[in-house]
Amino acid sequence: MGKIMLDGHAIPFKLGDNILQTALEANLEIPHFCYHAALGSLGACRLCAVEITPKDSGKAPRVAMACLEPSEDGLKVSVSAIAAQQVRQHVIEFLMINHPHDCPICDEGGECHLQDMTVVCGPPYRRYRGRKRTFPNQDLGPLIHHEMNRCITCYRCTRFYQDYALGNDLGAMRLRNEVYFGRFQDGPLENPFAGNLVEVCPTGVFTDAIFRQHFARVWDLKTAPSICPHCSVGCNTLPGARDGTLRRVRNRAHPELNRWFICDRGRYGHQYSEHSARPLAPRVSGTDTSYHDALNAAASQIKSTQDCIGGLGSTREDLEGNAMLQALLNNLGGIFTAFSDPKLETATIAAVSSLQNIGNAPSLAEIEQIDAALIIGDLTAHAPMIDLALRQAYRKGAKLAFLYSSPTPLAQFATTAITVSPQEMCTELSRLYQLINAQSAAEDITDTPMTDIAASLMGARKSLLIGAIETMTSQEVSTLSKLATALGSDTKLAYAFSGANAYGAALLSPTGSAVAMLEAVEAGQIRILIVAGNDPLGDSRFGTRWRAACRNLSALIVLDCILTATAKAADILFPVAAWTERGGTFINYEGRAQGFATVFHRPEYLPNVARVITDLAQYLGHSLQAAPSVLGDIFSDFQIPKPGTTGSLITAPSLPMPATASAHSIQESCNSTWQAALASWYGDEALASFAPGLMALTPKTVAMIEPTSAIDAGIKNGSKIKLRGSSGSMVLSVRFNQDVATGTIAIARNVLVQLGVGHGDSLELEQVL
Amino acid sequence: MEALLTRHLDPVAPLNLVAYQATGGYRSLTSAFDLKPEKIIGIVEAANLRGRGGAGFPCGLKWRLRGADAPSPRYLICNLDESEPGTFKDRYLLYGGPHQIIESIIVSAFALQAERAFIFVRGEYAKGGNALNQAIQEAETAGLLGTNIRGSGFNLQIEAHLSGGRYICGEETAQINAIEGKRPNPRHKIPRPSTHGLWGQPTTTNNVETLINVPHILLNGADWFRELGVNGGCGSKLFCVSGKVKHSGLFELPCGTPARELIFEHAGGLDENRALLGFLPGGASTAFLLPKHLDVPMDFDPIAKAGSRLGTGSIIVLDDATCPVEVTLNLMRFFARESCGFCTPCRDGLPYLTQILTTISSGSGRADDLALLDELCATIASQSFCAFAPGAVMPLVSSLKCFHDHYEHHVTTGRCPFNEANKNGA
Repeated sequence: MGKIMLDGHAIPFKLGDNILQTALEANLEIPHFCYHAALGSLGACRLCAVEITPKDSGKAPRVAMACLEPSEDGLKVSVSAIAAQQVRQHVIEFLMINHPHDCPICDEGGECHLQDMTVVCGPPYRRYRGRKRTFPNQDLGPLIHHEMNRCITCYRCTRFYQDYALGNDLGAMRLRNEVYFGRFQDGPLENPFAGNLVEVCPTGVFTDAIFRQHFARVWDLKTAPSICPHCSVGCNTLPGARDGTLRRVRNRAHPELNRWFICDRGRYGHQYSEHSARPLAPRVSGTDTSYHDALNAAASQIKSTQDCIGGLGSTREDLEGNAMLQALLNNLGGIFTAFSDPKLETATIAAVSSLQNIGNAPSLAEIEQIDAALIIGDLTAHAPMIDLALRQAYRKGAKLAFLYSSPTPLAQFATTAITVSPQEMCTELSRLYQLINAQSAAEDITDTPMTDIAASLMGARKSLLIGAIETMTSQEVSTLSKLATALGSDTKLAYAFSGANAYGAALLSPTGSAVAMLEAVEAGQIRILIVAGNDPLGDSRFGTRWRAACRNLSALIVLDCILTATAKAADILFPVAAWTERGGTFINYEGRAQGFATVFHRPEYLPNVARVITDLAQYLGHSLQAAPSVLGDIFSDFQIPKPGTTGSLITAPSLPMPATASAHSIQESCNSTWQAALASWYGDEALASFAPGLMALTPKTVAMIEPTSAIDAGIKNGSKIKLRGSSGSMVLSVRFNQDVATGTIAIARNVLVQLGVGHGDSLELEQVL
Repeated sequence: MEALLTRHLDPVAPLNLVAYQATGGYRSLTSAFDLKPEKIIGIVEAANLRGRGGAGFPCGLKWRLRGADAPSPRYLICNLDESEPGTFKDRYLLYGGPHQIIESIIVSAFALQAERAFIFVRGEYAKGGNALNQAIQEAETAGLLGTNIRGSGFNLQIEAHLSGGRYICGEETAQINAIEGKRPNPRHKIPRPSTHGLWGQPTTTNNVETLINVPHILLNGADWFRELGVNGGCGSKLFCVSGKVKHSGLFELPCGTPARELIFEHAGGLDENRALLGFLPGGASTAFLLPKHLDVPMDFDPIAKAGSRLGTGSIIVLDDATCPVEVTLNLMRFFARESCGFCTPCRDGLPYLTQILTTISSGSGRADDLALLDELCATIASQSFCAFAPGAVMPLVSSLKCFHDHYEHHVTTGRCPFNEANKNGA
């Protein structure tokens, strides 16, 4: 390894790195603007000027840009040389010509790279006496505020938005000192990673519009390392709070997961914890009460109905909360599951089981390196950052293949994309498995797209098979895992789970416990149900049955931080701490256990789930162990991961692959030819659906149908249809969409809930004249 | 010297294929296809043909440095994006005879073994671009373009690309971005366009005037070409003369002809009772020269020695009734307007210079403004991303030296002496 001499210090460098990268790697700052670790060197800002003394002693030292000069062994570089300092001063002077100097009212103040660089480089005064150039700003939607006058034209925004995130509605326009970064016309930014502009911009052009609504100076924010609760990727975040309210969430780099960026759901979904309808006081039979009285009420209900109790944890509830609820149920002789949807339970357990057998899922950094992928379903909504990692793989030339039932934004980068109706997905996967297993894709010449997929997976150096669990059955999960085994060790398998702790929830839930629980409630065998962070009554597929079953309960006890349908129906409601208001552990899609810390406390007393369960146990006369030792008993030698560390893979006993004969759960009574598919979008998630900023971007509720099958059925684009499911009907207008499978109607989650149908269930269609 | 490059040009009714061939057009293809590509490059090198687009880089050397083993596809770009103020030679070539351009490209592309060529035409030359497209079609129909041209086994496709219309598109790498359909910001030149140019492939860019010399060199030989020049210059050169002369225009003369002959003989000299204050020898982005430089041969090295650049060989003349501060300000306005907006010194520095010059020109300049201009120009020239900004500040830096007294006068008296003289005259 060679070394450069930076102002007299020998600094080692990686081959191929430039001087700026070498210095930053060694934690030495060379002032810069346009260079960004994820976006690379550009050479536009001209701030990283350094003096280089050529090794050839006859040549005079020259000032060059550190971001464009490769590090060479023995190269003499000076940041402090007068000539380099002068260039940097001039660059700052040029940038300050038009900058408005509005730091006192600028949201970026205190974390502004431009501010820092100006103070570091000087000059401390201005000589320019002319007028400043001004721009009109654009309305970029509810999430991002635009203030173009502050722009220093470093091109970071377009390089992130267009080159990195592959968005196409923000770019550089015009020229000279009037280069304008924005959209062609006003309107919300369309890319689901647009929020990163706030962090990528070195000054206050793009600022967080949600933070701005309830602003605090950044030095007044309380922060602590946290984990994003909005999907199973487990991105590391840094929430900031002040005066007992959460103000914003920013990226916190994890070397293998989210390094520089997070998705907009992770950045803006946090508004759920400040939602006006958030339950903040314990409630018994609809009346606010004290925590003590609520515990008393719950305890007396439980005591009066011995042996008839169930505990429903959740895939978004942390490991501690789920484990403590399970421990309480063990003590009381009741049953526990973390899943309210039996289909989701078997699919999740099947996925965790296959990951345990085949090997762990790849990290985001590894996904960026793959050269072929098969993607089942919509990752943009179910694991947005895996979508972003696959966009990086695509940029490097990876071939992406898709099997999907409803539109998915990532499919625009597909090499091969096949729409498949939910009920045929398993058959199609099996065909692919047969093609690959036959080792000779050429045999089935008639089946071109599928043979293309087989060939690209078999020819790949590193490939990935990934599916979104929420729209998969356990049979599909096990077929995908068989496919991975057939492809061999160069193929990685991953699943985008539903819920930040779905992996952990699966480890705690016995197979079949969800259906057992539902049937027990239906049969009146369970009279008390404790629900922690789950929403059985708001479930799309099983909500109807749960709602009917819950009428048999003598008490529905709910612990949650959002007002779900279940929380609304609770007899006893314990409001609990949101994720930023408590510490805990999530296990992400890789099986990585990551800890998160309490960022702040609200003025109200909001215990976490583990605390409520412990207290309830005490009122019942039971003494539960503390969460760490409960978890230590379940997972041998389990240490609670420290917040702020990179986390570690959990060692857990192997889960059995669930029996895959549950196909009958698809309703066959209905003789309709139409199937429902979940039309998901990136803001669609239990917590985030309480974030007003994101919800303002909700796509219009329509019924998306593939044109050919619609025309065959005599349905016109834009016409009205009435859809009917097990629990209701709804009139929607039709929108033709090529990305919907034949015979399938793609509808949003709230429509599925209202109709009482799940992804893949049949539904009845009736034309409205 | 008999006109060589402009002999058969007619901007009103340019020759069609048949007429052009009747004048001996496309004869050089036969000579070229009989030779090995390396041999052609050797001849062009021996002819000492230097780039006519402004930089003066030896054409043959450029071709040889690309390497005969460059991976396919290889591209040739003919730069016809002439946007330099005071320069109108490429326009004359385009409007006067598109077939000469096509012939030049065929033999040059053969030398480079490039299978695809682009002619990047200035946006304002749209009519010429249309005529060029028609000529390309004629040549295609006649089998002069396409596959296996005249049985040589050489394939070539030419496309004319009409520019969106910005000065920066004349810059080699910005032009490559423009042809690719991207924003025309210049690219970092490591790796070089000769290996990683258009769509990452080996790409050679030559000015149109450079290329049209190639058929004549092939037909007549390198020695003949070198001897066309005078005073040490090689070949024939198109000179534009504009500004305060009686007959501004385009003149084809031996390379090395002194400015005195160009201005006073061919362009008819200055108006009566006017004296020469100075001139720009090679277009707007070159340094001013003074009357004492009138006898310097208009060739690359002598003009460089005199402190300027031959550039495009376009002389702009200032007489003693022209305010050099205002002329410089006018040039700076142009460059500030045409900056692509990519790098800081050019994007924000040039408007800064313009602002200071405006105050000086209008009489509200300060004593320390002249030193400030010098200081800023030093950083802008040396620390910009591409060659645009060094060229842009060149007239200003030289103007501050050559016409220092004029600047001093503006600052100390708080007014422009030429304004008053003009008013009094009127």
